[in-house]
Amino acid sequence: MATRIGVDIGGTFTDLVYFDERTGETVEGKVPTVPSAPEEGVVDAITQHVPQNIIEEAEFFLHGTTVGLNALLERRGARVGLITTTGFRDVLEIRRGDRAEMYNLFWKQTEPLVPRRLRLEVDGRMLGNGSEYRPLDVETVKAAAQKLIAEGVDAIAVSLINSYANPEHELAVESLLRGEGFEGGISLSHKISGEYREYERTSTTCIDAFVRGRMSNYLRRLDGRLRELGFTGTSLITRSGSGSMTFAEAEDRPFETIMSGPVGGAQGASELAKMLGIKALVTADVGGTSFDTALVIDGKPQVLFEGMIDNMPIQSPWVDVRSIGSGGGSIAHIDPGGLMRVGPRSAGAVPGPACYGKGGTEPAMTDAAAWLGMLGPGDLASGIHLDIEKARVALEAVGTHIEQDVEATAAGVMRISSAAMANAMREISLDQGLDPRTITLVPFGGAGPLMGTLLADELEMNHVVIPPLAGNFSAWGLLGADMVQSTARTRVIDFVPGALDVVNGVLSELFATLTERSAAHAGDAVKSARLDLRYKGQEHTLSIEVDISEGEVTETEEVILDRFVSEYARTFGGTMNQDVELVSVRASTTVLLPRRELSYTPKRSDGQDDRVMDVYSFETGARVPFRVIPRGRISGKVRGPAIITEETTTTYVDVQWTISNGQAGEIILERTH
Amino acid sequence: MAKRHEPVVHNAGMFGRKTENKADPITTEVIRHALNSAANQMKRALIRTSFSPIIYEVLDFAVAIYDKDVRLLSQAPSLPMFMGTLSFCIIEAVKANGGTETLKPGDALIYNWPFGTGSHPQDMVIIMPVFFNDEELIGYTAIKGHWLDIGAKDPYCTDTTDVFQEGVIFPGVKIYKEGVLNEDIFRMIMANTRVPHMVRGDLDAQVTGCRVGVKSLLEVVERFGLETFASAVDDMFDHGERIVRSYFEKIPDGRYVGRGEMDNNGVTKDRIPFEIVLEVKGSDVVLDFSGVPDEQVGPTNSPLPTTISASRVAITMLAGYGEAPHEGHFRALKVITRPGSMFDPLPPAPSFIYGWPGLQAIEVIYNAVASAMPKAVPAQSGGCICSLVAWGQREETREPWADGTPLPTGQGAWDGGDGGTMLHIAESATRFTPAEVWEHRNPWIIEQLALAKDSVGPGKWRGGPGLNLDIRMTEDTLITTVFERSLNAPWGLLGGKEARPNNCYAEMPDGEVHSIAKSTHFHMPKGAVLQMKTGGGGGYGEPSERPVEMVQRDLEDGYISEDYAREHYPHAFA
Repeated sequence: MATRIGVDIGGTFTDLVYFDERTGETVEGKVPTVPSAPEEGVVDAITQHVPQNIIEEAEFFLHGTTVGLNALLERRGARVGLITTTGFRDVLEIRRGDRAEMYNLFWKQTEPLVPRRLRLEVDGRMLGNGSEYRPLDVETVKAAAQKLIAEGVDAIAVSLINSYANPEHELAVESLLRGEGFEGGISLSHKISGEYREYERTSTTCIDAFVRGRMSNYLRRLDGRLRELGFTGTSLITRSGSGSMTFAEAEDRPFETIMSGPVGGAQGASELAKMLGIKALVTADVGGTSFDTALVIDGKPQVLFEGMIDNMPIQSPWVDVRSIGSGGGSIAHIDPGGLMRVGPRSAGAVPGPACYGKGGTEPAMTDAAAWLGMLGPGDLASGIHLDIEKARVALEAVGTHIEQDVEATAAGVMRISSAAMANAMREISLDQGLDPRTITLVPFGGAGPLMGTLLADELEMNHVVIPPLAGNFSAWGLLGADMVQSTARTRVIDFVPGALDVVNGVLSELFATLTERSAAHAGDAVKSARLDLRYKGQEHTLSIEVDISEGEVTETEEVILDRFVSEYARTFGGTMNQDVELVSVRASTTVLLPRRELSYTPKRSDGQDDRVMDVYSFETGARVPFRVIPRGRISGKVRGPAIITEETTTTYVDVQWTISNGQAGEIILERTH
Repeated sequence: MAKRHEPVVHNAGMFGRKTENKADPITTEVIRHALNSAANQMKRALIRTSFSPIIYEVLDFAVAIYDKDVRLLSQAPSLPMFMGTLSFCIIEAVKANGGTETLKPGDALIYNWPFGTGSHPQDMVIIMPVFFNDEELIGYTAIKGHWLDIGAKDPYCTDTTDVFQEGVIFPGVKIYKEGVLNEDIFRMIMANTRVPHMVRGDLDAQVTGCRVGVKSLLEVVERFGLETFASAVDDMFDHGERIVRSYFEKIPDGRYVGRGEMDNNGVTKDRIPFEIVLEVKGSDVVLDFSGVPDEQVGPTNSPLPTTISASRVAITMLAGYGEAPHEGHFRALKVITRPGSMFDPLPPAPSFIYGWPGLQAIEVIYNAVASAMPKAVPAQSGGCICSLVAWGQREETREPWADGTPLPTGQGAWDGGDGGTMLHIAESATRFTPAEVWEHRNPWIIEQLALAKDSVGPGKWRGGPGLNLDIRMTEDTLITTVFERSLNAPWGLLGGKEARPNNCYAEMPDGEVHSIAKSTHFHMPKGAVLQMKTGGGGGYGEPSERPVEMVQRDLEDGYISEDYAREHYPHAFA
């Protein structure tokens, strides 16, 4: 255990959670996000909610941020030049030829991060087997360097064909660029990714070059401010693929942290699953504008090895978090055919839902919940008092068009939203061969616990766990992020006896790369390795974990093949009578953070005595008396219906559910039989 | 043609309401979500269990769920051109098998008769009836998937002269009877394909996908009850119909002609111009194909289901609110064809490359729409999926190999935007393969994968650039190429100009160059270079209205040369 502070910057709020080693207490807080200077929001959160002695004693500061993501989305980044092999400068713009919106006649690919005039070609060619087909033409590199220097680019991305198989030309380009006097950042594709697929690797390399400067400045400013506050520990940022890296490491590989925001929740759910022994769970993170869901099996989130931002692929470990544009702010409206739809447009923080009384007039999901009584008496912790009348007026305007009264319209908004969310949860579960009815639902985020029993009913799930600090759960999830470094290389060979000699050779280079990258990952770091295998002739691979010792695989090819076949059967429901080939080797090192225990006791003094109010029940289709209970006052088994209140979220429990406290401060909801 | 047939009118959307009661609008929206999710589950099951890259990488398939009257309930995003044909597949397969009374729970029909599927025999359909409580037929699930081979004269053909050269026919027979595999039929399939292990895998995957669909549809019906479900479905269809009608009401009543042309039919060399007439009256739309040429001796015939599918795709992409279509979206549309014509051929006409007239028809329909409302559509794209199929035997191992791909073309400009570069709208979910993967998989070196200079159609808004893709063969290889619209340039709109057309060349090791826009079983010796040049997109609006700084930027970016800029945008040099 070690005292640590976690801060997660969201679109609307900056969430803070800290763990105090001496008391074993976990404390939460929330401040508004400062979009123009996100680090100031972090400082506000810390100075307002963390005592000075904790700041000084804390060993770790863990951070989740959308700074890199926003830089990409808003195209605020470096002026980047790209150097490619002759004949390939347009790969970035041609992509793979598909359309993100397949029924949209006018859909067009995202503007490339590097305009065509800054995409230059150099002559020389490697082949897929690593042999040199044409030597690098030094003069073409020099010419490209001079042109890009003259254009005044801040950074240069270098992505040559087949560099995953032989990086020599890319390394030579780097030294020639320096020789020509280029002083900005250089991103080499084989160092960024090491995997094949030139479009995806080039895209990743350009993203790295694009966000590097901005991320680096931000992290330095933030670290400086933390030091000023008296913090002396280690600053860490979460990775898109879960785990964390130091700020210094993140300055080197900023593209690995692009999704550091949404990952916190999945990370927290994984830790919760381990603590509570939950075999499989699906998360429902409902915020103001979006709904995120992730699957956790055996205490691990599902990690992919490619992600996508604004239609730009990133070859980097990536927790499989799926989002839809549905949240508390999603607006109900009437489409041209006269049916009511909910979202994806959101009321956002301004003007917000009508019931917040900040000028919003269109009905948001929060208005529907407020009207139905699902938010309790209407005093939110953020100091907002719900204006139910404004919600009524907004809902009525939409309800009239579909000939429904306010009550039916409001219930309809909730049912339509939960149907859309449930579909995403069903699909992410079925993708891993899991029937959602057999797993646990873990809702969190500001509006997650509100939707818990609705979603469970939609999916016929019987077990819901509302985690402690549910409203700030993503920030809590940050606190357990072990330090991780990873790297990979594509090496396509038949996976037959002897293949592991090649694998071990690649692994030793990969581990050397990791050690070189970060001193923290030498010595005691726990090494692990995965092999991406597939049936010959297929395109898609399965990533299989293999046992290693001293950096070498300790299992035989036969044992690994057996594991591949059984994983394949589990995931795809059948196997093939085909040879298997190796595609990529993946290595990672983990430095474990000191363990922490989850012990959270909500304050008993929260709120007033139990009250009873009439709230809409989706089970009975009518208003029935609901008990309104502060979270700290739940003891023994409480039969629903009930509204459970706490500082940062509200839990809605329909009639057919029973409430109890769990061992670590979580609330357990079970279907009453 | 001995007898000239009279034109026939087809309703693109089947039937009006079947129920009298209305469901509430909320339940309707929830059921719409649930049906789309059910179709997505079928798709995921198919991709997860498929063994062939054509299915899991190229997404050359369609999955859909229908009610007992064969009205489309939902479909998952997949190949648009396939999606609109599945209703015909179900109707014809069930009819061929003896009608609905011969169906039992657990049955699966297999069907690929081109005049019922709209496709070539490689496109194999599996159909499963859905029974409520094992008694009442309430619907069907169906998956059409492209099998790599089912015994045509070549793995891919542009020169067939009747349907029997195109593959083995399965005329709606039971591959599963009450859940049990029909071994006799199964062995027939395995005996008639060059790649039995892949075909076996795809058959299994399609059956698994259909089963998932049956289960998912039953879950929806059981949850809401048959009566509510039926009313909600009717409401959902009515709603889709209103959406499409509200769009067409904006188009002035009238008769609008769209013009297209096929380069040739693959067997004889004559060009084949054709016209499709769009008639709009109020919110009713008629697409009239009756004036097109007679059916062809070569395989560029589009059987009726694909003709109607192309019409459905064109209309729903335009007016469907960007969402997955269902039966209601088709109701405003009627299609007129003339049996015995290129867009309604009769057996035994060849139809191996049926998709090419079909996909061109979509843009010809937009060409007609443009004459009524130019802002409603983009100018023409390259107008083709520019397909390459290659195969051979590896030198070292003697292992047979095969690969195939469609290619992106420039897309047409529209009012408010320059065109991009991507696959044809008829294959809008499809991706092509990275060069590094190709080089690893096939005996190829990719010499260039580039946007072609001066390939764009000039205009106030310019079209998207076409592609130059050069592949050097490092071993002897056989290829089939289908590059249509090599003789006609992509059209511009409202003063926008034409773009570069598609073309394909083979440069032999001795330097001789062959033009091979359409070729079957063409021998590329070791060292030959295949040069594929896909078309650009047409321009929109007068080039003289293009802002000078945008011309300047295109010049600096090298999308256009200075000569080209001076020719088309003289105002930029004034």
